[in-house]
Parts: sequence; structure tokens; C-alpha cells
Amino acid sequence: MILGILEQGLIYGILALGLLITYRILDFPDLTVDSSFPLGAAVSAVLTLQGMPPALTLLCGMLSGAVAGLITGFIHVKCKVRDLLSGIITMTALYSINLRIAGKANVPIFGTDTLFRSEFTRALPAWIGDYSTVILILLITLAAKLLLDLFLKTKAGYLLRAAGDNASVVTTLSKDQGSVKIVGLMIANALVALAGAVMCQQQRFFDISMGTGTMVIGLASVIIGTNLFKNFSFMKSTTMAIIGSILYKGCVSLAISLGMEATDMKLITAVLFLLILVAGQAKRKKVRIHA
Amino acid sequence: MKKFAALLLALVLLVTLSSCSKPDDKQAMLKIGIIQFAEHGSLDNCRQGFIEGLAEAGYVEGQNVTFNVQNAQADIAIASQIASTLVDVEKCDMICAIATPAAQAAYNYAQDKKIPVIYTAITDPIGASLANADKTNPGEITGTSDLLAVEAQMKMIRALMPDAKTIGILHTTSETNNTMPLNLYKELAPTYGFEIVDKGIAAGADIPLALDALLPQVDCISNLTDNTVVSYLSVVLEKAKAAGKPVFGSEIEQVKLGCVAAEGIEYLELGRQTGRMAAKVLKGEATAAKIPFETIANSYLYINKDAMATYGIQLPADLADRAIDVLAK
Repeated sequence: MILGILEQGLIYGILALGLLITYRILDFPDLTVDSSFPLGAAVSAVLTLQGMPPALTLLCGMLSGAVAGLITGFIHVKCKVRDLLSGIITMTALYSINLRIAGKANVPIFGTDTLFRSEFTRALPAWIGDYSTVILILLITLAAKLLLDLFLKTKAGYLLRAAGDNASVVTTLSKDQGSVKIVGLMIANALVALAGAVMCQQQRFFDISMGTGTMVIGLASVIIGTNLFKNFSFMKSTTMAIIGSILYKGCVSLAISLGMEATDMKLITAVLFLLILVAGQAKRKKVRIHA
Repeated sequence: MKKFAALLLALVLLVTLSSCSKPDDKQAMLKIGIIQFAEHGSLDNCRQGFIEGLAEAGYVEGQNVTFNVQNAQADIAIASQIASTLVDVEKCDMICAIATPAAQAAYNYAQDKKIPVIYTAITDPIGASLANADKTNPGEITGTSDLLAVEAQMKMIRALMPDAKTIGILHTTSETNNTMPLNLYKELAPTYGFEIVDKGIAAGADIPLALDALLPQVDCISNLTDNTVVSYLSVVLEKAKAAGKPVFGSEIEQVKLGCVAAEGIEYLELGRQTGRMAAKVLKGEATAAKIPFETIANSYLYINKDAMATYGIQLPADLADRAIDVLAK
């Protein structure tokens, strides 16, 4: 069970990193993610079938996500459409684009080598074989996290954080707040599409409906992570988001293994989610009393 | 942090408790995990039939098999997590997967563990990569396909509506199970003197508008097993009735609701057939890899006499003896 949770949690952790940028840093409710997640998956699936090395398809998936973010950003900043709406517009359009890219609603890649099943993974000794998938996912997630951490420390990253917190700082530095937002959306959706591509490689099929509810899962992960570890100042928010994602998937897995009725699954997940949030708050209160 | 730790501890306890409540001592019990992709009539019938088919072959629930039934509620990520739980945690002896994404998720996890996967309600196993192009199986996986009886349906429409020229088909673009029957319709249409006009929709809410565009162009509507369209069947029937165009269904439930007629397959029977295949694997008569996937050969003609009367459609004598009146008690 732990292995399954870690695999799923780490993949969705990449997604949480993306949402961390839009929701937490830019304060932008970006609905594009519900479509950029399957976009990354579609690109990865189709290119894998055409014989491209799976690792490269991840990069192409990321690029496609960045383009999706660029479009949302362009609609919002240049066409002056409200944030929520510009995300909805891109999300709607991408639904058709995703179907066009994939050619059909479900593209299996069972027949070809994937990132997690290649000559390389087959050559590994048996004891590591079971863990090779989770190790590879961990490496990808860590790479994404470290690169994002590094980026946030650069001048551009600083501007990005300023754009969400205090927009006038950006303007004072005579930088265009709009282009900073667009860059943020591009990075965020690139990460989301990367998550979709990794998911596709792991589950070995693309399905047009795999994006449904992505935004909710990502948001829940970010909120769980950042709430639970609010007082852990040494911990980076990127780490919090990834751990939040693992906890969220843990909740879902728990609800499944408790043998919940299918109809009650979402309710149980919501209750567990709430419990974690409340636990996080109780801890915060206590700290305040001590202070 | 203490509270959090306490909470985690409580969660862990819950899990342990729940696993304690399951009887582990019965060694002879075979564990069969069932992943059903979504909750709806046909898929429920498949599951029911599967359990019955196994029982006929001597695998009775509670006596020598236990079923762990999970429903993914049409959520791919959840289907994947269920598959991982059934394979790695529950260590099931066999997985039954109902509908395409469930089967793909199950096979993804079960393939390496050599746990047989038996699927059902999959329109196109080859297209879903669950079977090879030469109809052999790629691994320990086999099952049954629910490909529609498209040709029988066209013959039936031709018999009931001798003057009809165009058939309208509504389909949800996100549903893979539509691709193959829709292509079959288009391929076979000229043989029976029909033209197919199809309209794709993205969601149920698009159906009224799509119908407004579609109905004036066609002589009748024929349904696929499209989950969204079937859910909105009352809207389809009402609009079609206002336009004076009959609607043909794809299975019995739709005819009960007011479609004129359908050449449909019986999902309960499909499930039973799947259950019998599973029993062969459990008995060791053959491995899943060696049993080719099966389709159901027979379709049944279901008719709704009230709906036929509405449109003044007569049942030709040669069809009358095999027609099943769904309204008859």
C-alpha cells in the first residue's frame, strides 16, 4: 500500500508544485490545470508510441504545458479577461486539442517500452525491481522541486513571489507585472503537464477524463501540506506541497482499503481531509498559547 | 506536532483494526478483486453475471471465494489506486475488471505479479492494447468484449423503417467505447442504404443543442452504449418525439425507457460468460494468457409497442417471432 501511495503521491506532488505557484505564490485560481494535466499525458503517450525515448516525451509534455500556461496568461494579461475565466477558456479549448493530439479518448501504451519499463529497469536486480518505479518517480519529483527552489531564489523568482504578494513592488522595480504572471503560469502548467506525462508513463495509458478534478487534488495537497507544516520554518513550501500530496493520496488509499462503499468514497476522503486541516489548526493554536 | 502524531496513530490503528476484522485463517478461500469503473446498469449487470457465472462453475461466494468489489466512480486516478491496493495489499488471486480504464489500470499492476486479469464490458480489447492484433493475449489477461451488434441493428432499422435514408448518432467524444461501433456504422451504412450523420458532444449539457442540430437532418436516431447520452435519454426521447423521429436504443434498458427497438446484448449473460472463463483459469484448465477473448454472438431484439404505435411503425412478420416486448409483464 505504502508503495502505491508514494508512487501516486509523488506524481501528484509535481502537480502540487505547479499549483503552489499559481495558488500560493501568484494567488491565481488557475483552472487550466484540469486540461494541462491530460495535455502532458497525451503528448507523452503519442510521442512514446512514435518511438521517442520516454524521458524525452516528458520534456515535450512539459513544453506543451508551458504553452498552455502561456495562452492562459496571454488571455488574462493581454486580453484583460478575469483570472478564473481565462483559465476556464484555455481548459475548454484544450479539451478539444487533447483529443486532437491523442487522436482518440484513450491511448494505451502497453505495447511499448515506457519510462518505468525499459531495457534499463529490466536489467536491474529483482530486489530493486519492485522499487524502481517509485525511485524514478522520486528522482523526477526531487529534480522538479530542486529546480523550482533554485528558480525561486533567482531575481526572476523573487519577482514572481512579489507579483503575488505585493504587485507594486514589481512595478517599482520597473518590471512588467503582466509578463511576470505569464512566466509564473507557464512554469506552473509545465509542472502540471510533467505530472500528467509521468502519470501516463506509470499507468501506461492516456485517457481524456484523467484530468477531471486535478485542480481539487492539487489544491488539497498544497493546503494540507502548507497548513500542517506552517510552523516548520526550515521546511520549504515546495517540500510541504509534495508531502501534502502524499498525505492526500494516503487518505484516498485509506478510504479504499477500509472498504468504503463507492458512493461514500468522496465523503470519507473529505472528512479525512478536514481532520488533517483541523489537526494542523489545533497545533497552531497551541503554539500561539505558548508564545 | 503531537496532535498530528496522535492523528496518524489513530489512522494506523484504524487500518490495523479493519484488517483484523477480515478472516485470514481460511486458507482455501480464493480472493477475487473486482474493479468496476463506474456505477451504471449495464456494468452492474456485468458484475452480477460474473459472480453468477463463477457460482455456476462451483466458485460460490463465502464458500470458496471472497469478492472484494471496488468502484472507481469514473475516476482514473482512483481506478489506479484500487488496482494497486487489490494487487499489492489484498494480494488477490484474480482481478476482474469491468470497463476499459479499469482493465488497463488492473493490468498495469497485475502484469508483473502474474495475477490473472479477466475483463468484461470492453468494446475494443485490441484498441485498448489488452489484446494483440492477432487476437492473442499480451499476458495473463483475457475476457469478454461487449461490441454492439451494429449490423443486426441496421438490418432491424431497415426492416422497421423501409424508407429511412439517414441515421443520426449522438456520441460523447471522451468515451472510447464509441469509436469502434461508430466506425462500424459508417462502414456498413452503404450496404443497407443508409447515411450516417454523427454529432459529437463534450458533456451532457450539450445534448439539447446537438439534438436541435441533428434531428432535422435525419430520419431516426440510433444510440450507442454512450454513458452520457444514455443518462440523458429522457431529453433525447422528448426532443425526438417533438420532431417526429423515432429513437433506437442499444440495449434493453433504453427500450424500456421509450426507445422504439434495439438489437442488444445481454450484459448479465456477458458477465456469466466472463465468470465461466474465470472459473476455467481458477480450476487450472487453462491460463488466462491461453484463452482468447470472447464476444457475445447473439443479440436480442427488444421492442417497445407503445413507442412503435406513437410513430406508426409496424413490426414485420419475420421479426415478430424473435421480438421481445419489454412492456409485456
